[in-house]
Amino acid sequence: MDNKNLLLAVFADIDPAAHAVDLLRSLGFGEDQISVISGFPISEAMFGRKPQKSHVPLMALGGSILGLLVGLFFGVWTPLTYPLNVGGQPLVAGPPVIIVIFEMTMLGMLLSTFIAVFLDSKFPNLKPMEYVPEISDGKIALLINCEGHNCDAVSKELQQSGAESVRKAEANPL
Amino acid sequence: MAVMANSNQLHGKGHVMEPDHEAHLREEHLMLDPRPRSELNAMVMESMTTTSWKFWAVAGFLALVVAVCLGYYWYLMIRDGMGIAGINKPVYWGIFLVNTVFWIGISHAGTFVSALLKVFKAEYRRPFTRAAELMTTFGLVQAGLSIFMHMGRVWLFYWLFPYPNERGLWPNFHSPLAWDFLAINTYLLSSTMYLTMPLIPDFAMARDRSTGWRKSLYRVLAMGFRGTEAEWRHLRFAMNLFAYAILPVMFSVHTIVSWDFAAAMRPGWSSTIFGPYFVIGALQSGLSAVSMVLIVVRSTMKNMKYFIRPEHLDALGKLMLIISMSWGYFFFNDYIVQWYNGDKYTDLLLHFHEAGPVGYMWFLMIIFNVVIPWATLWNKKIRRNPTALFIIGFLVNVAMWFERYIIIPTSLSINRFPFTYQFYKPGVEIPLSFGTLALFILLYMLATRILPIVPVWEVHEGQAAHSIKKFGKEPVVTISDLE
Repeated sequence: MDNKNLLLAVFADIDPAAHAVDLLRSLGFGEDQISVISGFPISEAMFGRKPQKSHVPLMALGGSILGLLVGLFFGVWTPLTYPLNVGGQPLVAGPPVIIVIFEMTMLGMLLSTFIAVFLDSKFPNLKPMEYVPEISDGKIALLINCEGHNCDAVSKELQQSGAESVRKAEANPL
Repeated sequence: MAVMANSNQLHGKGHVMEPDHEAHLREEHLMLDPRPRSELNAMVMESMTTTSWKFWAVAGFLALVVAVCLGYYWYLMIRDGMGIAGINKPVYWGIFLVNTVFWIGISHAGTFVSALLKVFKAEYRRPFTRAAELMTTFGLVQAGLSIFMHMGRVWLFYWLFPYPNERGLWPNFHSPLAWDFLAINTYLLSSTMYLTMPLIPDFAMARDRSTGWRKSLYRVLAMGFRGTEAEWRHLRFAMNLFAYAILPVMFSVHTIVSWDFAAAMRPGWSSTIFGPYFVIGALQSGLSAVSMVLIVVRSTMKNMKYFIRPEHLDALGKLMLIISMSWGYFFFNDYIVQWYNGDKYTDLLLHFHEAGPVGYMWFLMIIFNVVIPWATLWNKKIRRNPTALFIIGFLVNVAMWFERYIIIPTSLSINRFPFTYQFYKPGVEIPLSFGTLALFILLYMLATRILPIVPVWEVHEGQAAHSIKKFGKEPVVTISDLE
């Protein structure tokens, strides 16, 4: 996004922010021109928006499969490669393999889910970003790319719709 | 409210209670007593940054205990060998493994409180999930240290890892000890990740209202979190998945720990019920420890009386009572089958538990684990009394430590070879045990200076979801599902 065309509108609560999103839509803004930022969990449904794309579920599935394969490697391949006779049990015995596979599958799933959150959210990101500390005080902010629109006019409309403040968004160190 | 009160006075005596009831609900439940988010943030920041000289005096004392009891005595054991510990033949497993099982048990509380209560949407969990999760991570650290102590040659710990090597050594994946290694590490990593993720928005909150070194620290820890829809979406999905997936991992950990014993053909150990018995035992000690920690946090940290209220102690007290009943059931179930089977050595062992040199531990275990919780925790006033609940929690933890002591070194003293009978007298294990306890408390204390101990955004979300609705004349609590 070009910084020159970015507006940051701060709202006291979720309802005026949701109305402002409707207003922006009516002014011809596309969904990709609006971002909602909040200090507590918000869902896209609260603003009548489509869910954001997330790779976390797919990564979790991939991690589970990888973990399962590692479990098979430990439980099946290694006893055949390094044979140890344990109380006359078969080298590859079902019950111990199930335990090893379970632990490795769970570890794979949870680890990949954790990594996926970081990758999808682009963490860590220490670059300057458009943000105001009031957001973590419970305010809702709309980051609007007003390219193709009159930024000043949009700003006035947002103020009239209940925004506490509307300003040019500047990227600052967080 | 004033208008409502006037109106009620006009409507007679019965209705005068109505606003009182609503006021009582708000006073009782944190979720119904909302404050502006900025105020919540300020309260949590203040609790982290306000530190008295007493705090540092206690921390300094604990650091000294850690240095002497853990550092010095471990050094002695490494220098002089395991001979200075009390383990002998046939008691190869002593207090180090008692402590390992004990600390893994303590670690179960964090996951139980945080994940299970989240899955069941128990709203009262919100302010104290992090305080409980911290116990999981620090408890597992102590469990790991205890295993390292038990190893003796601790510098060879990496032999546990399965990797190709010139010695031709390879972990035996048929052994419960190898499963332990996998399960404990899976649990340590999972619970640390589960602790970390919800911390990110709170680190961002702390970043936004800190200066100096704290600002730099929280800036790095928050990793650029702003609270966009996408960030919340990823975080929410991951936390929900963790809440469901970490529960079977939690159950597997203590079940596998129980198999270290149950898979051996020994009197007192070979039991099909050891898995759930150990899991319940872990929850018994873990929940009691959570109650104790919350009571200390509430009474020593600034503003915590707002977040941690009698309702939370009450809820934990009820859980402690239910778990105590379950522990009694599993204990008796395990006991009667062994008592009934008529095996000579099992019979001998059971009598040894009750009438041997540490028979007092067996009786105190029953009294502290069953008699006292059942006699007291049914009473609401006792459950809501911090001092009473702290004492009950402490006694339960003493009892659970005794239980592990009875299962491990006491049971190992007696076996099928009478000529090998020998009692266990701990040596260097005692200062090392105090060292791990001191390290746990020290790490926890230091963490409360750096980590927001209350997940503010979760409390904010919960308060936003709760409201009081009139159902006829009766004010009732309603909860919106915002997730």
